[in-house]
Amino acid sequence: MFGFLGPNGAGKTTTIEILEGYRNRTGGDVSVLDVDPGRSDRAWRNRVGLVLQECQLDPTLTVRETLSLYASFYTDPRPVDEIISLVGLEDKRDARLGTLSGGQKRRADVGVGIVGNPELVFLDEPTTGFDPSARRSAWNMIEGLKGLGKTIFLTTHYMDEAQHLADRVVILRQGEIVAQGSPDELGESVGSASEVRFRLPEGVTTQQLEKVVHEHLDPSGTDVSFRTSNAQKALYELTGWAERHHVQLADLEVSRPTLEDVFLQLTQEAAPQ
Amino acid sequence: MSDVGLVITQTRYGFKSLVRTPRVLVFSVFFPILLLVLFNSIFATGKNATVRFHGRSIDTATYFTAGIIAYAVMTSAFSTLAIAITARRERGELKRLRGTPMPPWTFMVSQVLRSVVTVALMVIGLLLIGRLAFNVSIPGKTVGGLVVYLVLGTATMCTLGIALTALTPTEETASTVAPFAAVILSFVSGVFIPINSLPDWLQQVGRIFPLYHLADGLQNTFFPTGGGIGLQGSNVASLAVWGLAGLIVAVRRFKWEPQGPGHS
Repeated sequence: MFGFLGPNGAGKTTTIEILEGYRNRTGGDVSVLDVDPGRSDRAWRNRVGLVLQECQLDPTLTVRETLSLYASFYTDPRPVDEIISLVGLEDKRDARLGTLSGGQKRRADVGVGIVGNPELVFLDEPTTGFDPSARRSAWNMIEGLKGLGKTIFLTTHYMDEAQHLADRVVILRQGEIVAQGSPDELGESVGSASEVRFRLPEGVTTQQLEKVVHEHLDPSGTDVSFRTSNAQKALYELTGWAERHHVQLADLEVSRPTLEDVFLQLTQEAAPQ
Repeated sequence: MSDVGLVITQTRYGFKSLVRTPRVLVFSVFFPILLLVLFNSIFATGKNATVRFHGRSIDTATYFTAGIIAYAVMTSAFSTLAIAITARRERGELKRLRGTPMPPWTFMVSQVLRSVVTVALMVIGLLLIGRLAFNVSIPGKTVGGLVVYLVLGTATMCTLGIALTALTPTEETASTVAPFAAVILSFVSGVFIPINSLPDWLQQVGRIFPLYHLADGLQNTFFPTGGGIGLQGSNVASLAVWGLAGLIVAVRRFKWEPQGPGHS
């Protein structure tokens, strides 16, 4: 699974539309499954599945009808019932698309994208507008696709989504790739230091604590945080001190650098003018 | 699946979609039938039982029945097609279809085929109602002419309907412009009002557009003057020219991607 990230306006959709064969490139060479998508033919379309960002399918057809219709376009489609289970719409198989919720429609959409049994699937922002539980189940569904051995090209602006799903990510800014690698590698690129964060106890000053953990403390609101390359030792010092002084460290948490940190750092840097 | 199979499958689903869209059913099926019954009941009785047509006196009910058939061809082929295709394009469905291995021509043919079948059913229904309720009949020797006009008229209305989608950026535009055009043209084409009742200049305006020629052609097949199957060169030529113009615009200007606000 390949994650393609970037802020709005970075050129994600333009790139994906070139790869999908919808848009002509202005220069360079493009090859998708060894074919130039600008000259794609029926055989190539047969190997590629698309889930577009803005697409509403016919609201008067049922889930099963829609999938059967699209299945008929491909030479070797997957069984419609299998796809319905895969996208988790068993209860809605005979419901018209117009009656489904946004999340359910998107699942039907994904079903249409994979019913042709493609080798490569483009998922353009598959969970935009989902509530958290719908997103979780969509993630499970997408991981199910990975299990089928498909290559998946995922575009998203949710970093947690990319971190959760993607094996490899590329971050785009103003049409240029500014970072690439696995989500963990990218996380380490902003420094391998972990961040420790907690609420500053009453009557305790940051100077006092800096002597305990031997790191510089950053205040943010009622919280303080510091970065350390040895979280185990720093926590041992910190919690030991707190226990001895009978101080409660509320909201204590340790986090590794996430893709989101990388993303924010890279995309908020002053854009080169 | 073979390409012919793809056409048939898409046509079948097209019909499912059609019968589940009440608005389309009302406009393209119920409305022409209602008009036929109303016009013939109100305007084709008493001293209005006959109407002047090309210098002759003919049965008004038959005249209206032939005209309403032309109107039904326009709504089922031109209006319904323009609205359905614009709606699908604006939903992003056409773009999505373009991303599948389905050959685009099978989509187009299935759309046209759906209109052709709808027209055929409507014509049979309207002729039956005319026959049973208003004693309308067509001479056996011009049935061939009627079929030629229906085929040519449906083809012309379909190409014009597809051509219109190049000019309608949203479904709202399409569903306003297309039915409106059908109603306005019906007034000046001898469909809602006998053509002889119109001032001369308005008749000239009506003659520019294809609905006049389709209505006039159909009306002539019910009241043939010369021999043959009842075709008139001017009507056939006008329908063919409009159809060809529609085809050229449709082929050159057809869009698969959404055009409405919010799409670049």
